Amino acid sequence: MPAALLLAKLTVYAAASLTNVLPQIDAAPQYSFGGSNTLAAQIQLGAPADVFASANTALPLQLYQKGLCTQPVVFTRNTLVLIIPKSNPAGIHSVYDLQKPGVKLDVAAVGVPVGSYTRQILKNMALTSVLNNVVSNETDVREVLAKVALGEADAGFVYSTDAKTVPGQVTVLKLPAWAQPKVQYGICVVKSSPNAAAAQAFVKKVLSKAGQAKLLAAGFLPRVKPKTAP
Amino acid sequence: MIRRVPVLAAALAALAFLALPIVAIFARLSWGNLAHELSSSLVTDALVVSLKTTVVAQVLVLVFGTPAAYVLATHRFRGRSLVVTLVELPIVLPPAVAGIGLLAAFGRFGLLHTSLPFTQAAVVLAVVFVSGPLYVRQAIAAFEAVDETLVAASRTLGARPMKTFFRVVVPLARGGLGAGEALAFARGLGEFGATIMFAGSLQGVTQTLPLAVYAEFDVDFHTALALGGLLVLVSAVLLVTLKWLASSSTSAFRFALSTSS
Repeated sequence: MPAALLLAKLTVYAAASLTNVLPQIDAAPQYSFGGSNTLAAQIQLGAPADVFASANTALPLQLYQKGLCTQPVVFTRNTLVLIIPKSNPAGIHSVYDLQKPGVKLDVAAVGVPVGSYTRQILKNMALTSVLNNVVSNETDVREVLAKVALGEADAGFVYSTDAKTVPGQVTVLKLPAWAQPKVQYGICVVKSSPNAAAAQAFVKKVLSKAGQAKLLAAGFLPRVKPKTAP
Repeated sequence: MIRRVPVLAAALAALAFLALPIVAIFARLSWGNLAHELSSSLVTDALVVSLKTTVVAQVLVLVFGTPAAYVLATHRFRGRSLVVTLVELPIVLPPAVAGIGLLAAFGRFGLLHTSLPFTQAAVVLAVVFVSGPLYVRQAIAAFEAVDETLVAASRTLGARPMKTFFRVVVPLARGGLGAGEALAFARGLGEFGATIMFAGSLQGVTQTLPLAVYAEFDVDFHTALALGGLLVLVSAVLLVTLKWLASSSTSAFRFALSTSS
């Protein structure tokens, strides 16, 4: 193996919602954040990723089944929230207000994990009609966050952890637990990685007590649902 | 003469490099499914949005850009070079910066407090902003190259300024104007970054062909390729048409083309 490759930094492809927290767990790697679906497509086309951290388990599982990465493990979980700009231009006080005509609702595209979670939760709440108010299908969750935080969109669906990164700019409306989709994050080592050992070590770090503590501090949920009810 | 070999090799390498991605798109297309892939509503909607917004944007570029370029080409005033630089700036600006700038200016909480974001008008504005300067820049050069004695002759023969402009200046500058417009058209059709930031991406409303290529990239790579091929063809047809319009000339002043285009 050429020495240059061994010296190369570890490259981690990770869901946009992990933008703030992963560098806190390990500042060393090179990160490429984006929609998990875009990252998965890039890995399939031979992108030089060593680790893939996705906002769902379906995409890494697809790569695993194609022999492109190791069997994914769940490393954290998340919940979906509705955010509105602090100025609340459309006067939205609950998810049901999204039905009002003319509301500018921003969501992620269908293929993006948060985009499909959004459609799932709306389906669970029998609110799919609000999709008629969608003004844009964004490529990742942070685009939705940015457009709502800017006040250009009246409301958007993001993870609760994203909303925490722009305190003071958005109001968070919680969505009922019974309607929440199962938001599990999967991580795997890319098979073609020349840094397999370092990649494994990175995964271990994310799964470690310290790594999990950072995720919890950022608002993510423990990777395994606590068995006993609080 | 031996020096010509490396020059030729470099030229060939450059050509091959530029042509390869275009060839690759068509080489990787699955021709059997092409009709099926291109008949989806995603593709036809994107094509309609792209053509509509590009045409409106280019009409605006011509209507506002031509007089602006003429004024800048024929008037010398303090701060002129600063104005010209300002006009040219969007050409070198990263599209993402253009998107941020448009939001800061026309966003709901921007300077002008408009409700333009997420509308088709926003797509048009983004296209005008990034493509207009290409036309204006070329138009300034074209107008500057027009022989002033011919303009003066037209005026002394009694033609009004407007008539002189449309019957003498524009025909003389046509080569440069056409070339500039061809560039602006092509750039506008390919506009991506400013559009996705300022106008968003919604099928049938703001999702242009380039945005559809991006949206399909991770959904269905083959549809993305088919869309890419379509965009190459549409761009090529437009470019060739505009070049042909600019150069097919029965004008006696054809010599002017070579100096201005």
